[in-house]
Amino acid sequence: MKIKASIILLFLSAIFFSNCKESGPEPISPTKGTLQIQFIHTWAMDSHVFELNKKLFHPTTSDTLTFTKLMYYVSNIQLKNSDGSWWISPESYYLIDVSKPASMILNIIDIPTGTYSEMKYVMGVDSLRNVSGSQTGALSTANVMFWDWNSGYIMLKAEGISQNSATKSFAFHLGGFSGVNYIVTQKSTNFLGKSLNISDSKMPILAILANPARLWHTSPSLSVTNAIQMPGAKAKVMAKDFYDGITFESLQE
Amino acid sequence: MKSKNIAVSFFILSLLVISINSCKDDSITEPSTEFKGLNYPSYFGLPHYNFTSNPLTAKGVQLGRELFYDPILSIDSTISCGSCHSQTHAFADHNGGFSEGVNQAKGNRNAPAIFNLAWNTSFMLDGGINHIEIMPLAPIVNPLEMNETISNVLLKLNRHRDYPTKFYEVFGKKTIDDQMLFYAITQFQGTIISDGSKYDMVQQGKSIYTIEENAGYQLFKTHCSSCHKEPLITDNSFRNNGLDTIFNDLGREKITQLAEDRGKFKVPSLRNVELTYPYMHNGSFFTLESVIDHYTDGIKLSPTLDPRLSSRIKLTGAEKFQLVSFLKTLTDYTLLSNPNLTKPR
Repeated sequence: MKIKASIILLFLSAIFFSNCKESGPEPISPTKGTLQIQFIHTWAMDSHVFELNKKLFHPTTSDTLTFTKLMYYVSNIQLKNSDGSWWISPESYYLIDVSKPASMILNIIDIPTGTYSEMKYVMGVDSLRNVSGSQTGALSTANVMFWDWNSGYIMLKAEGISQNSATKSFAFHLGGFSGVNYIVTQKSTNFLGKSLNISDSKMPILAILANPARLWHTSPSLSVTNAIQMPGAKAKVMAKDFYDGITFESLQE
Repeated sequence: MKSKNIAVSFFILSLLVISINSCKDDSITEPSTEFKGLNYPSYFGLPHYNFTSNPLTAKGVQLGRELFYDPILSIDSTISCGSCHSQTHAFADHNGGFSEGVNQAKGNRNAPAIFNLAWNTSFMLDGGINHIEIMPLAPIVNPLEMNETISNVLLKLNRHRDYPTKFYEVFGKKTIDDQMLFYAITQFQGTIISDGSKYDMVQQGKSIYTIEENAGYQLFKTHCSSCHKEPLITDNSFRNNGLDTIFNDLGREKITQLAEDRGKFKVPSLRNVELTYPYMHNGSFFTLESVIDHYTDGIKLSPTLDPRLSSRIKLTGAEKFQLVSFLKTLTDYTLLSNPNLTKPR
């Protein structure tokens, strides 16, 4: 009857209007893709695989040493578009920890589909983040990569044991974000001329090679220096040598 | 009659449907009532710390207060921030020269007072800490203080009976991370404001000095306020005030690695100085009179001695008494007894 129909209508409209509805039509988002960057570590010139807890011989210093820890920051990843503009990866901070294989694989997500010719990345943590207080993720103080008594990130931590060291151990905590002690290093690669194609159907893999033996490219034997615990000239030489030795290895589509 | 009943039941049912299907906001719980903001006198100027990313809320401050007094931050749960930083002494450590940590481990310096921190441009006696948020990191991980690790502190907080809920109510996240811990403590410390001393009342025209106090104030302005700058009674700079000829504690040099900074320590605020003994970075003076005697008769020479102290400060006995009278007007009894800053029950 008339009354019944209107009650049913009331009931139905109650259901209809009570559903959450977004106003406006759905926006069409451009497709995006992922780039995977893998950090691979080698030792010295003879392409030995670098490993923790393995005795290594340094050809320059003649030290025999074993790393128990190697951790360092990579940040601020950017990709150059075909139109020359740069896509900036947001909140781009990564802590490479050789004891954690997953940390050496960086999945850069939500990159707009397209062809990219160059990548910029930073070894270390930029100045601003060193004076910005408490942060999260890779920059959290829980990672024990931030000096508590002298605010600033420990951008690279290399620890281990060696008979050549007077203390039988070594600990290099490298940092420095201002003035003459600044170690933060901008790096770039053009993939040796290859193009980086980002699409939503394939994930290219970019391999970057790092060589911890480069820490002693200039710096002396562990018998001379077995520890660095603050920013300064020694930290700068060691960090720069390591950062400068980091190279593009391969790009696999 | 029958249709009317159906109508009513349909109506009630539809109301029920609406209430069940109403737009659910899956995002975080709204923060509790906003403060009216940080309360401070206009002559303080704007705080150095920007509360935008860490806005003050009643619950955030309360949580920070609980953490400040909770020994859970130390490795054996014996030491809290409040163990050294006592409200009755303007949150300074009056227990001895070198502040002590777990297992009576003696530190290297006397813990500074805590108030008006939002106006600080650096933290610690050598200014080694550059941001209020990560200030607590140092005592927590220092083996001579709380001897803990951040990971372990977070483990303890996350399996605590009450903290996960309290942190969730403030930050809307189920797992407590170090940023939340530091934000909460910062909120509490930010509200430790000292602006209620007689000095402040005089500045605000609500009181007047006694004759002795006023004479002392004039002496203060002549001899002390170039470093102990009004109204915060510090200029936050680092200076060598002649405590030693050779410095075992390098002070600011440890941070800057510059020889010109040897033996320099942060100019402390003299607010509440009557209560923040022992004085100096190593707690070597226990009375105001002995400090003033140091400035008039005890300055030791060194290459980095502050130029303002290179010629003797001359004060008569009466003048010293007047100066002490003025310094006592910097005591803020409202701070010392503020129930919002006391250890919660």
